[in-house]
Amino acid sequence: MIAMRTILSRAAPVLACLGLLGIWQVAALLLNTDSFPTAWEAVRAIPSILGDKESLINILASLRRMAIGFSLAVTVAIPLGLTMGRGRLVASFFNPLLMVIYPVPKAALMPIIMLWLGVGEIAKILVIFLGVSLPVIYHSFQGAKAVEEKMLWSGAAMGLSAAQRMIRIVLPAALPEILTGCRTGLVLALITMITSEMIARQSGAGNILFNSLDMGQYDTVYAMIIIVGAMGIGLDAAFESVRARLVKWSEPGFDIPLSFA
Amino acid sequence: MNPRAAASDVLLGIVPIALLVAIWQAIASFGYAPPALLPPPGAVFMRLARQLGDETFQAAIAATLFRLSVGFSIAVILGVSIGLAAAANPTVNAVVRPVVRVLAPLPKVALYPALLLLLGFGHQSKIMLVAADALFPILLSTYYGASMVEQKLIWSAMAAGTPRRQILFKVVLPAAVPSILTGCRIGLVISCIVVFLAEMITSTDGLGHVLVTAARTFQAVDMFVPLIAISLLGLILNALLQGLRSWLLRGFPEV
Repeated sequence: MIAMRTILSRAAPVLACLGLLGIWQVAALLLNTDSFPTAWEAVRAIPSILGDKESLINILASLRRMAIGFSLAVTVAIPLGLTMGRGRLVASFFNPLLMVIYPVPKAALMPIIMLWLGVGEIAKILVIFLGVSLPVIYHSFQGAKAVEEKMLWSGAAMGLSAAQRMIRIVLPAALPEILTGCRTGLVLALITMITSEMIARQSGAGNILFNSLDMGQYDTVYAMIIIVGAMGIGLDAAFESVRARLVKWSEPGFDIPLSFA
Repeated sequence: MNPRAAASDVLLGIVPIALLVAIWQAIASFGYAPPALLPPPGAVFMRLARQLGDETFQAAIAATLFRLSVGFSIAVILGVSIGLAAAANPTVNAVVRPVVRVLAPLPKVALYPALLLLLGFGHQSKIMLVAADALFPILLSTYYGASMVEQKLIWSAMAAGTPRRQILFKVVLPAAVPSILTGCRIGLVISCIVVFLAEMITSTDGLGHVLVTAARTFQAVDMFVPLIAISLLGLILNALLQGLRSWLLRGFPEV
């Protein structure tokens, strides 16, 4: 009975996917218009996109930019967030600036950044970097702020220097929170990537989406939506399993982060 | 914290913002960047002030604000009701949880082409995109807030003779309000961002469209103006929501 239940809870997201595709299929059959192909037709168009060399290269190039932007953002944002969490002055120095930047649509900076840096890789990576940094800084900040003072005092009493305390006490203690920030950041990287490609219309997955929309290849549009959606869900699930293993000791918090903006 | 330390904190916080504007001004005025690429901050803010009095620009703001508020309201209504239902009813929970798990990390902006095909290029597709993006933070925070309500409160209400049906609205909902408002705040900022991006991708009006038109004609000043306008809009709406929060939660210790 218990085994059955765990199997059911493992399979629930898969069942949900199938259910959503099923609803799509029924809705498309009921509506029966050209601009809304059935789920089955969209799924059938996926192999032809992934088999096409040019679009595959485009998608992989997008993913590479995303990976670079994400790793750069994490390497800058985690140390900054941790120092902000431990130093009151650092926090009051950076907080208002971050608050002002927070509501700026990052992908909308694309045209301006392209004006400065051209249409090359750097512009696209920079936009992803900006999009990912904020949630990671915020979560690292919250995590570092919540570290118990007593542990730091004990560390200091045992002769750890400030830098050692940061790495050996604050970093591990804040790790669950940091990883939550990274999880939000990862999905955000994908969203920023797609959005900026939709706006710049140069290359990449977002561009394929809108090009096929313009050419009226509706099943390709929907197939791309499935591919992008699967990337989001897959990346999130993969990161979650890494996270769960890394911070097994911490209490299970919310199983889905609140924001993917 | 004493008021003096708070004041010095505020001063310290202004430093990086002032520094940023100063560097911006310096780059522009020492000629490192031609004004066509980076207009000086004075010119941008002057232009913003002039545009705010301009009727076409006001119409753009109105269009953006309309889509934003309708989409956000749909997200609040759906998010709070689904979140509450999932927290209250195990059957609903069993369905909603896996579906949300799948849909929450899905990049909603990828759905935009489909929404365009189904709902057309007008208001509807943008409103739906805003609603879809703002829905999940509100839904999740409502759900978490409602499922963390202390059991004792519910027992006390039952002991005092509250009918089961009313417990949801008299105990659970008020207790979840702080969490719901946090979700709304996240959802609001997301809505601001998403409505702008949707208008940039395809639209004939709204602030995002103003940016795209400026970018096509390489009018750098006009590119900064709508960007600053939407960010200010986000900050103002955020402050309004914060005001609503402190009014709703007056007398409660702030968490």
